[in-house]
Order: sequence, then C-alpha cells, then structure tokens
Amino acid sequence: MEAEVIKNRISDVLISILEHKNFEMHDELTARDVDGWDSLSHMMIITKIEEEFSIRFKLRDLNKLKNMGSLVSVIQSKI
Amino acid sequence: MVFNSVDFIVFIIPVFLLYWLVFSKSSVYQNLFLLIVSLFFYAWADWKFLALLVASTIINFYLGLKIHKSPDDRKRSIFLYMGVIFNVGLLLYFKYFNFFYEGFYEILNVFGVSSNYSTLSILLPLGISFFTFQTLGYLIDVFNEEIEPNSNLLEFSVFVTFFPKILSGPIERAASFIPQIQDKRKLSYDVCVDGFRQILWGLFAKVVIAENCAEFANLIFDNYENNPGSVLLIGTFFYAIQLYADFSGYSNMAIGVSKLFGIQLMRNFSTPFFSTNISDFWRKWHISLTTWMMDYVFTPLSFILRRHQKKGLIISIIVTFILVGFWHGANWTFVVYGLLHGIYFVPLVYSGRMNTEQIVAKGKWFPSIKEIFKMLMLFVLIMLTDVFFRVDSVETGIDYMNRIFSTSIIDAPSAIYGNTTIITIMLIGIFIAVEWINREKKHDFDISNYNIYLRWASYIFIFVLILFFGRSSETFIYFQF
Repeated sequence: MEAEVIKNRISDVLISILEHKNFEMHDELTARDVDGWDSLSHMMIITKIEEEFSIRFKLRDLNKLKNMGSLVSVIQSKI
Repeated sequence: MVFNSVDFIVFIIPVFLLYWLVFSKSSVYQNLFLLIVSLFFYAWADWKFLALLVASTIINFYLGLKIHKSPDDRKRSIFLYMGVIFNVGLLLYFKYFNFFYEGFYEILNVFGVSSNYSTLSILLPLGISFFTFQTLGYLIDVFNEEIEPNSNLLEFSVFVTFFPKILSGPIERAASFIPQIQDKRKLSYDVCVDGFRQILWGLFAKVVIAENCAEFANLIFDNYENNPGSVLLIGTFFYAIQLYADFSGYSNMAIGVSKLFGIQLMRNFSTPFFSTNISDFWRKWHISLTTWMMDYVFTPLSFILRRHQKKGLIISIIVTFILVGFWHGANWTFVVYGLLHGIYFVPLVYSGRMNTEQIVAKGKWFPSIKEIFKMLMLFVLIMLTDVFFRVDSVETGIDYMNRIFSTSIIDAPSAIYGNTTIITIMLIGIFIAVEWINREKKHDFDISNYNIYLRWASYIFIFVLILFFGRSSETFIYFQF
C-alpha cells in the first residue's frame, strides 16, 4: 500500500479518537505535536490502527515508533 | 549529609572548586572525580551499603553489554530477566521482605495454622528505590534497542552514583544523562547562577515551608484522637503542603547542585497543584517516577490489555498506581494511596477528558472562577488522600477520615489559633504565589528574565525569610523510600 494512502487512513483514525483535526500529516509528525495524543490515548489509537489495517503490532514495534514516518513503515512491513 | 546542612556546605565548596580548577582537563578526569566524590558522599550517608551500590553498578553494567551482544532474542531475554530478577530482587529483599513474610504468616493464621514468627531486622540501603529503578530502566532500554549500552564503566558508574541524585532522585534516564558526561563540561556562569537560584528556592521550600507545616502536621497527626474534625481537616492541609514542599524542595536542590557541575537532571515537579484534573496532576508530580512507571509498567500492560478498550485502560491505570504507591514502602497504606489515585482516573477515562490544558490560565495573570474551583476541588481530594501517605496503618487512616467527617468538623479549631498559624499561612501564601507566577517557566524560581534590581530583591527577600523562619531538619520524607 502506498504511504499516502496509509497516512490518510491513519489520519481518519486520529480524528475519530481525538475528535479534532488540528494536525498536519507528515513524516516528522510525533505524538507530542498532536493535542491529546498522550500515553493514555496512545493505546486506543494503536488498537484502532490494528483494526483499520487488520494487523497486529508487537510491543517491540511500538518502542521503535519515533514519528509518523516510522509508523507508516511498520504498517507497510505488516500488510 | 542533607543539602540543608553545614556539613554539605563544607563538602560542596571544595568539591566545586576542585572539579572546575583541578579536574577540568578532560571528561575522564571530571568523571573520575565525580565518581570518587559520589562514593564518598554515599559512604558518608550509609557506608554499610557502599559495597552493594558498587556491586549493583558493576553487575548492571555487564548485563547491559551482554544483552546488547547476544546474538539471538532468547539469549537477550535471558540476560534481561537476570537483570530484572537482580534489581527487583534487591528491592524485594531489602524493602519488602518483612511485608510479604508477615503476610504469609497471616494467611497461615487464617487457615488455622497458628505459628509464631518474628520479622527480620533488615536495614534499608539509602536510595535503593531510586538507583535500582534507574538501572532497571537502563537494561530495558538496552533490550528494546532504544539506547546503545554504555561500554565505559566509569561513565556508567557516574550515571548510577552521581551524588546529587543518589539518595532521593530524580530517577534519571541513561539516554539523557550519559551523553552529558561523555564530553568535557565547561563552566557556565549562567548555568551556575541558575543552579544557585534553584537551590535557594528548594532550601526555602524545605526549611521554611515544609518544616513549619510539619510542626502543625506532626502535632495534629500524632494526637489525632484528641482533636475535632475541623482540626484534623486542617492537619491534612498542612501535611499536603509539607509533603510537596519537602520533596519538591529536595528535588530543586538536587537539580540545582547538579547544575553547578554542568549536568542537567530531569525536572521532578512542575507546579502540580495548579492542575484541573488528576491526570494533569500526575504529569506534574514526581515526574521522574511517574514517567518511569508509564514507560515500563503502564505502556506494556495497556498494550497487552488493549483489546479490552476502556476496561483494559482502567485496569492498567489502577495496577500502575498501586505500584506507584507500593514503591514508597512496604505498607498497605501506600497500596491504598495508589489504589485511590488509580480510581480517581476512572471518570476521566469514561468521559474521554484525559487531556486538558497542562498550564492553567496560560499567558494570563489569574485563573478563571471555573479553573479556581477545579484546582481547589482537586487539591482537597489529594490532601485527603495524603492521609494514607502519612499514617502508619490503614485502620488509623480510616479512623482519621471518620473523625474528619463527623459532627466535630464544625467545631472551632481553637487548638491551632495563634500567631504561628497566621505566619505559616502567610509563608505558604508567598510560596504558592511565587510558584504561580513561575508556572510556565523551566523551574519554580526561574527569574532570569527579571531585571537586576528585581532579581536581587527576590534573592534577598527569600534569603531573609529563610533566616527568620527557617527550621533545621536532618532528614527528608523521601529518604525513607
């Protein structure tokens, strides 16, 4: 799947969980830059992404997530 | 040797001068000197366990390298488990052995097997809760490939034993600490002055605020059976302020002292009482512990339970907070303290209002009425919960609570009438006002942007308050943890 398509679908996930659109999708985007994306909402976002792409993360995958770019490449490696 | 002692002044002046004048040639000299001084500092406080600290440092150093060099996941896991068993084992033995030992015999009694037992007298090595968490976090980070292990035993030893933080934190992370000691540190006038500011403020919080509040809190808590509910309620107020001023004061002094050596430790408190909900409060209270628990307990746990949605989140939060409580000591009171805080999160999880503005009334002078109301409600909740942090047993805590919420809550609190009360309340007012003004700054007394007259007026004002109202104290609440 193309990175752009993945990013759009992640963006939809973020909007549905965080209930706002105040962020711009780019590879360097981090959770810190997005209002409300903290350690508590993080797992909800992760679960929703797993459902969206029908994949399963490992805890080790999550530890390696540094920004949107790395999230997209982890997803790409799983589908 | 506490920071607010003459001993410490006698210790720190030559150490500071030698560090910058004699041992400043290279990072190796600087680190060697810091290590020697740190071991001396630890030995001064607790020489009996110096060998334990050294052994723990060396064992964790080698385990870190072993995890990294192991060719396959199975071997890496084995070395990680060894590290976890070693570090958690140290804590369990020294801190929790008697707790579980007693619990075991109580269970036997329940089943009718009555037996006599006596607890072992195990001394608690100073700082063990802090340095074992640091090394444990280090091994997990190496295992997760978040950091490379440190292959320099000298640097690693400084990371573990660095004297400003060895007794009571902040619980540092290798990723932020070690890079700072790999290069030669240069003396910066601005950083040193900022360190002194933070020390001054920490000293004020400790010897003026915490110690004066302690006078009331001790009097009321130690005699709670003879006081009406109104006085007991006021006692919880003084204790809540004491606890905060004691530990944030300690942390500010530790961070300030560290700055004198060109090393930045992590912020441990960020004006936590200016929060409008419990989640906000815990982002600002004992930050080095809560972020540790978030990363190494909450995140893995909530990951495992993620299919259970909000229920999974709540279980993870409650388990994490029970551990936060239990970390403080082997007593059910701390378990209750943690459990209650975990439960306070439940409404937030269900309402989805976990994330609010972290700095209250950002960019404004005063908060709104609504914000004041929320901050006060939260403060009262925390203040009442702190009763379980203070008392010796859960029964006493419940009894204390029952006595607060009795008809005697409307009695006049005549036991605390007097000039000292008024003075203490005024000092607390100054303390809170300064923290409010600086709530958006890097630390509670970051007044570097004031002009020179205002800066010096502030220093002298705080200094005079310390001279007039300071009380000496030989210990800090957090030393027992």
